Amino acid sequence: MSKLQAALKRVLVGRPMSSGEMEHTLLPKTIALPVFSSDALSSNAYATQEAMIVLALAGTGALQHIVPISLAVAALLAIVIISYRETVRAYPTGGGAYRVSKENLGMYPGLIAAAALLIDYALTVAVSMTAGVDAILSAATSLVPYRVELALFFVILVAVANLRGTKESGILFAIPTYGFILSVFALLITGFVRCAVDCPAAESAGTIIKPASALTFFLILKAFAAGTTALTGVEAIADGVGAFRYPQSKNAAQTLAIMGILSISMFLGISYLAHATGVVYVHGAERTVVAQVAHAIFSGGPAFYVLQIMSAAILLLAANTAFQDFPRISSILAGDHFMPRQFLSRGDRLVFSNGIIILSVAAAFLITAFNADLNRLIQLYLVGVFISFTFSQTGMVLRSRRLKPKGWHRTVVVSGIGGTVTGIVLLVVVITKFTGGAWMVISAIPVLVYLMRSIHKHYGDVQHQLDHPDRRPVDRRAGHQNLVILVTDLEEATAQAVGYSHHVQPRSISAITPDRSLVDGWRTLAPGIEITVLGAGGSVTKRVRRHLKGVRDSIAENDFLTVVVPEILRSRNTIEILRNLGKQRLKAALLRERGVQVLNIPVVKGDIAEGIDLTQEPARNFTVVLVSGVHNATLQAIEYAGTLRPIQLHAVSLGIEESDTSALGDSWLEEHIPHPLEIEAAPFRDIGAALRDYLSSFEADGHERVVTVVIPEFVVPKKRHQILHGQTALIVKRHLLFVRGVVVVSVPYHLD
Amino acid sequence: MALLKRFIEGFTKAPEETRAENLARWISTLEGVTPLSQVAPRQRYRVAGVIQNIRIDPREGRDSIEATIIDGSGRMIVKWLGRSSMLGVGLGKGLVVEGIVGESEGMRVMINPEWNLVPGPEHG
Repeated sequence: MSKLQAALKRVLVGRPMSSGEMEHTLLPKTIALPVFSSDALSSNAYATQEAMIVLALAGTGALQHIVPISLAVAALLAIVIISYRETVRAYPTGGGAYRVSKENLGMYPGLIAAAALLIDYALTVAVSMTAGVDAILSAATSLVPYRVELALFFVILVAVANLRGTKESGILFAIPTYGFILSVFALLITGFVRCAVDCPAAESAGTIIKPASALTFFLILKAFAAGTTALTGVEAIADGVGAFRYPQSKNAAQTLAIMGILSISMFLGISYLAHATGVVYVHGAERTVVAQVAHAIFSGGPAFYVLQIMSAAILLLAANTAFQDFPRISSILAGDHFMPRQFLSRGDRLVFSNGIIILSVAAAFLITAFNADLNRLIQLYLVGVFISFTFSQTGMVLRSRRLKPKGWHRTVVVSGIGGTVTGIVLLVVVITKFTGGAWMVISAIPVLVYLMRSIHKHYGDVQHQLDHPDRRPVDRRAGHQNLVILVTDLEEATAQAVGYSHHVQPRSISAITPDRSLVDGWRTLAPGIEITVLGAGGSVTKRVRRHLKGVRDSIAENDFLTVVVPEILRSRNTIEILRNLGKQRLKAALLRERGVQVLNIPVVKGDIAEGIDLTQEPARNFTVVLVSGVHNATLQAIEYAGTLRPIQLHAVSLGIEESDTSALGDSWLEEHIPHPLEIEAAPFRDIGAALRDYLSSFEADGHERVVTVVIPEFVVPKKRHQILHGQTALIVKRHLLFVRGVVVVSVPYHLD
Repeated sequence: MALLKRFIEGFTKAPEETRAENLARWISTLEGVTPLSQVAPRQRYRVAGVIQNIRIDPREGRDSIEATIIDGSGRMIVKWLGRSSMLGVGLGKGLVVEGIVGESEGMRVMINPEWNLVPGPEHG
């Protein structure tokens, strides 16, 4: 096997080592380069053009300035890359702008960098897709009217591919990225050779543009700012150091250097050839600058089409990078409690989907709102990039001064220059692009920062209450239970509720119904249980709540009061949930009632054979308490489970982040909870399936053997905060609705 | 073509299949371990697997921690008696153990073996 083959095999098959939290396999430089630099290299497909659009405002003559402006941009790119090499060395596990800023500058700069990054990823998708479509349109001009539709189509395509769960496959990136690099260099070499003799003219050469404005210093600055799009994507390597082969920092730094050299040569070369072939590009032209250059240099031959295909491919991949990174940064933020915990684990299919869906919606919105106009989208793009550059470089300076590692003087100088220059460019970008759209990003950042801060505060409050010893649940043993059965029909589920309730042997048991006509039937079904017809006035929910308040007042303060809600389902079709929407709402509303637990007994018609008397007590009641952490809400749920007279009480943790399981076990042991805890993996992060698997071992049939799943739930005072909690509970409840013989109890833990 | 095939497989392959492959590949990097499918009771083995579930029993007199490991070929329970701390044992981690294999309720069990944790496979 040749060396290359061996490398390819290792890449394809993956080196059998864990890179910790990173999802990538450890990559050799040859593959890491395409994986991480597709974003940065692809920006060469449009950077020159963006600068030319600005220059063209001052007329055809001003276009000659593209070469010196490109030199300035290239110098900036070199500075940023040199200073990022310092970051890579300092943060061998990956030093994204958020992390570097938060660690060295404080929480708010960290959050600003994070907000800038999140916005940036949405823009990366929008910009790359639009530019990719432009490359396609340059080769197939008849499709021009479908620009927006095409861009949206590609967003959906990449989103679906990611939802399906593609990993960053090195090869997938390698082909188009190396293809793009090769085609561009083929273009540059052919171009230099041809131009040394006689430069071919681009199709737009000689077009005269009347100056719309004078060639002011401001315009030059603006053109420079537009050209700095060539810098986008540089941070990707710094983010992904952990994915490199050992020695990681060294390999990452080398890859950065290679990428820098490639990017600078490509950018300068394209700019030079655009100048030499006399491309005149005005906003809205059918063919991109690169396409025009290539068309002239390759005389429209097949090489032109190859380049266009490679450009489109690398741009689509650049968008894919954002799809990989957005969930990653979201999960880091969620881990630090700055984003809803649904983003926390990136492997969880559902969670992963959340990030992908949000990102695609944001990108699709941007594409539609800006009509897939690359030039207008790019106005928004650069602010976030330069905020994260400036913050992370400044953070590096402070870090070096504080920690004084070996060679810190050099870092201070390099990152100091980098931070200052990118800071200045940030100002230039903000000033020159403010009215063009940058204001939207600048106003969105504080909104996001505020949101993240509020989420953080909320989770902090919740944690405090969950751990507070004063809020410990009191010790309640079997018997301290009171049941109220809600009767809305007299079908199987209601009959089973009777049997189940008798089995629990509560202190008190009663029934309520909104429907007077059910009273006689009930008396035959459950002769021993008193039934009350709910007082008139208001919705069923209101009437139930009023009644429960009365019961609550009449029982001991520390007793549990459980509403038993039987629910008959006609089939296992999800549509049943919609058909029973009233009952779902009722359950949700009762959950918010203090001092009330909701016990749901769903029965699918046909699951119970004819002739079985469901009002008989089940012989065995297995109780399963779902545990996500050791805190007051869990303790309360365990106590609750004990009041149901279970034959066995299982505490089970399913599908929590694997890295948290060891700590969970330790807290369980420290807390001396007198029950065994089972920690189960949810393969492929499908909690519903894992739970169904787990429950199947009990062989519940609904009359002889019943499984009661006890779910601790948080109830927050502000309804809008509920989105930050209880999503898992919702999923679990949805999955359990159709499982035979399973009873589900929500034990709410009310937070202040 | 092989590349294209692999690319398409990436979209179509069942996750269980990929998982078993990942496990097998990971196991092949560890030295001197016997596949779980080949262990027989009452003999000494060095085996390894990813921790797939854990059972902690803190009740007096029964205090123990159990970890079920899988290696793609089979499963085994590793049991530590009288232990009151996880010492880093967690889901998804690789566990290399050496000791006498026993049997309980049809499952292979190793009680209080020599053990150490290793990084688990990538996408296990």
